[in-house]
Amino acid sequence: MQTLKLLSAFFKMNVQMSLAYRADTVVNILLNIMWLGWELLSLNIIFSNTETLGGWGLGELIALLGVFRLVNTLMIALIWPNTEKFNQSIRDGSMDYTILQPVNSMFLVTFSRITVWRFWDLILAVILIVVGINMADQVTSAPQVLTFILLAITGMIIIYSLWIVLIALTFWFVKFDNNVTILQALLDAGRYPATVYPVWLRIIVTFIIPIAVATTVPLQALRGELEAPQILTFILVSIVSFFLASRIWKAGLKQYSGASS
Amino acid sequence: MFLIFKRLWQVNWAEQWQYRANLLMYLLYWLVSPIIYLAVWTSIANVKGSVNGFTANDFVTYYMVLLICDQITSNIVIHTFAYKIQDGSLSGELIKPIHPLLTNGLVNNIAFKMLTIIGLIPIWIILFFLFKPDFSGVSLSGVLLSIPAMILGFFIGYLLSAAITSLAFWTTRVYSIHEFYFAIILLFSGQFVPLPLMPKVIQDIAQFLPFQLFMYYPIQLILGKLSAEQIIQGYIMAGVWLVVSILFFNWVWRNGVKRYSAVGA
Repeated sequence: MQTLKLLSAFFKMNVQMSLAYRADTVVNILLNIMWLGWELLSLNIIFSNTETLGGWGLGELIALLGVFRLVNTLMIALIWPNTEKFNQSIRDGSMDYTILQPVNSMFLVTFSRITVWRFWDLILAVILIVVGINMADQVTSAPQVLTFILLAITGMIIIYSLWIVLIALTFWFVKFDNNVTILQALLDAGRYPATVYPVWLRIIVTFIIPIAVATTVPLQALRGELEAPQILTFILVSIVSFFLASRIWKAGLKQYSGASS
Repeated sequence: MFLIFKRLWQVNWAEQWQYRANLLMYLLYWLVSPIIYLAVWTSIANVKGSVNGFTANDFVTYYMVLLICDQITSNIVIHTFAYKIQDGSLSGELIKPIHPLLTNGLVNNIAFKMLTIIGLIPIWIILFFLFKPDFSGVSLSGVLLSIPAMILGFFIGYLLSAAITSLAFWTTRVYSIHEFYFAIILLFSGQFVPLPLMPKVIQDIAQFLPFQLFMYYPIQLILGKLSAEQIIQGYIMAGVWLVVSILFFNWVWRNGVKRYSAVGA
């Protein structure tokens, strides 16, 4: 309950902050539409030369684009702004005040900045997913849609956990302010089904920086390609990684000694 | 003049060397898209035998060469210069008797590129063994012909980016304008896919724009895929666009500096 109250307070604060830059918001939304246009055009170019990409049709790739945009929104609306603030607070020691608050510090650090206007991107992503599913010729059953949603959430949790680990490393290595660039770098790999990549790249985007787990895997569930044990594995992995991440976060906090001392 | 450039080189090289870890990250970041496009198109070509005449090996060689050409012809002037106009630190450079963008800015970019190219070499060799491209179509004359083309491409790209960066004299939203410009390059340069696979309209427009000089044209030169007529046509376009971009940059810069009021002064 308290968490919800805090979240809504953060949200209000961030709305006010972005209202100060209204013209920028409009320009950013226009640019976002431009990139959507480019993404659809690039899919059109691909599918004017082939009928399937790694066995997937146009509809499935549009749905994948929607899922990719969900992850991308997580990255731009939450991960980037909070990481910047966090790196700054480690360098100048303002992290002190965060730790003093009577709230979970991990929650505070990861949710206090939200790029609010990006929320419209979520709506767009959902539209892409729905349109994509409808365009794909195969019949999708309700359980498939449910596992799709479930695995999209577990994928997000895994990426969130990896993010926590990456920024927690800053407690040990103060100069490590490139902490999320590696995440951003491989993000683009989420635009296409990981099954078309060469094996080494597939291993990287599945096990090391698991972008594909949040993009390709939910789509595979939607296509009914995943068996129950696999689905359970992904759920288990997300729970384990979240617990590991919060452990590493706590260990990192113990390392923190302020900036001046 | 030579001495000035030598000194500028020493300063900028030392400055860029300081950020070598960041540079490596930038390199990784920039590498991912071409490799993904490579993977996507080779997988299609492998299924279908060839796409519009392009075989899997054609795609592999295309993107492998693109990695080099893009690194040579691209620039980062927007990131190293726009903020100087916005926060007023340009003042210090304006009182020097040399052009800030055509001397210091230029040398800074070249130092940055030298370092990233050095970083790219080992990565490129690894990728070579991973993708095993067949470069038998490459001839020495093609490579030699591509070098002036890439240098021309770099200068045209640099002047156009510098002109766009100079729009910061008028607006604070120069980064948004640059993002739009970046999308235009993506569309017309052959970065996403070799131009013959683009829709007909885009191909027709791309012929008259300078952006294919950044990637598609030098790549095809190296791979030996252009006829004598196409080579000459490309060089003529490069010459014309060099003149246009010089004039355009000078015009924007001259009017921009007049508006400059040094924020914070």
